[in-house]
Amino acid sequence: MSRKMIEIHDLEKFYGAHHVLKKINLDVEEGEVVVIIGPSGSGKSTLLRSINYLEEYQDGTIIIDGEYIGRTMKNGKSVPMEEKKLNAMRQKVGMVFQSFNLFGHKTVIQNIMMAPMDLKKENRADAREEAEELLRKVGLPQKANVMPSSLSGGQKQRIAIARALAMKPKVMLFDEPTSALDPEMVGEVLKVMKELAKSGMTMVIVTHEMNFAKSIADKVVVLEEGSIIEQGPPEQIFDHPQNERTKAFVNMVFTKDVVE
Amino acid sequence: MDFLVVFRNGNFSFLMTGLAATVFYTITGFVLSMLIGLIVAFGQLSKKKVCRTVAEIYLSWFRSTPLLVQLVLIYYGLPILFHIDTKDWVCGIIALGMYSGAYVSQVIRGAIVSIDKGQMEAGRSLGYSQGQTMRKIVLPQAFRRMLAPLTNELISLTKNSSLLSCITVAELFRQANTLIAKNFKTMEVYIFVAILYYILNNIFGVIGKVLEKKLRTGEELE
Repeated sequence: MSRKMIEIHDLEKFYGAHHVLKKINLDVEEGEVVVIIGPSGSGKSTLLRSINYLEEYQDGTIIIDGEYIGRTMKNGKSVPMEEKKLNAMRQKVGMVFQSFNLFGHKTVIQNIMMAPMDLKKENRADAREEAEELLRKVGLPQKANVMPSSLSGGQKQRIAIARALAMKPKVMLFDEPTSALDPEMVGEVLKVMKELAKSGMTMVIVTHEMNFAKSIADKVVVLEEGSIIEQGPPEQIFDHPQNERTKAFVNMVFTKDVVE
Repeated sequence: MDFLVVFRNGNFSFLMTGLAATVFYTITGFVLSMLIGLIVAFGQLSKKKVCRTVAEIYLSWFRSTPLLVQLVLIYYGLPILFHIDTKDWVCGIIALGMYSGAYVSQVIRGAIVSIDKGQMEAGRSLGYSQGQTMRKIVLPQAFRRMLAPLTNELISLTKNSSLLSCITVAELFRQANTLIAKNFKTMEVYIFVAILYYILNNIFGVIGKVLEKKLRTGEELE
């Protein structure tokens, strides 16, 4: 029996009067790969970004590797945790963004070495060695000393993954990691993600790549209008959905694929 | 016309001490204005209403009143109002810094908000605090975008520093006037002084450009 890596409990999120996430409960086990799908505006990205509290929510709690992140319980109530603790907890959670967000003023290897040196006080030699190892892992050792601006989208995203991994996170979050890429570059990023999944990393992914979701996910979560309407193994969600709305959504995405 | 007059009787070195003073007051004033600009910019970007309000008041006052008026208010006003013994050149530097700080604050604020907010998010997601992300990730990238307008500001300030002559500071323009009072070579001296300002400001311009080139990251729209 594997242990729980992420526990989301009764999460509630509002944008003003708009109820964006409604009482979300979700567990992710260690080494599990969870893919969140759903129509646009259903709250997928918001839920993912709540996990490291980049998106603030108003109620509920999230526990990662046994510790609260973002909000904590005080006298039976969910309250925001102190900033310092939050920053320390975020080191356990790597995040990859749709728009890469590499640091434009640093070279590729500096992008990767920076956080371990600044936040984990690693010395330069160790940080460099680890960064080089990560660059090999994502297949870009030759790009160590170039500026991010000279990379293609797919390369940028692989570097972004390496940068997140440099902090040795327990969990990796992927927010539509291939949505900003030209079609021919999607594969190289998905390949890196697949290898990462194989290595036992706990991953939560928001994506529109349904075939990829089908092949990589241990569990698929379907979100609609801020609620989880169904979750289960990919075979269930894609081939035998229990929920009518899941069925409609899955049908729609796959029909679209055929038409394209 | 007798342009050689500026090179006779120690006139040249007399004007050069003025030029040196101009450079000193301008640069010191500029350093002060960067400091004030940074504070006002962060004030405007602050989540706290009181910080934003103070910054806005500062900005509107120092941007909307003439530097000359600010100079005399500080130089003559402080002794009268608060019995503070004012030194001309200290007042000059403070006035230059406070005046220019209003403009610099807008340069800094504009550059900071022009940096994609994904940079802040990426920093925060790695575990950097808000301040660390600002210092290590956002500001260095914003700085390059500030360089051209900051160079402008430094050049403006150099020219504006001639107003310090009105509060008896012995900078270039005042030295020129002193010289003219002695030899009546008005045009010769003013033209020479204009050329000195021109050369000085172009040196600042070149330094700005070199820095900009040095900090290129390849992401510029050029």
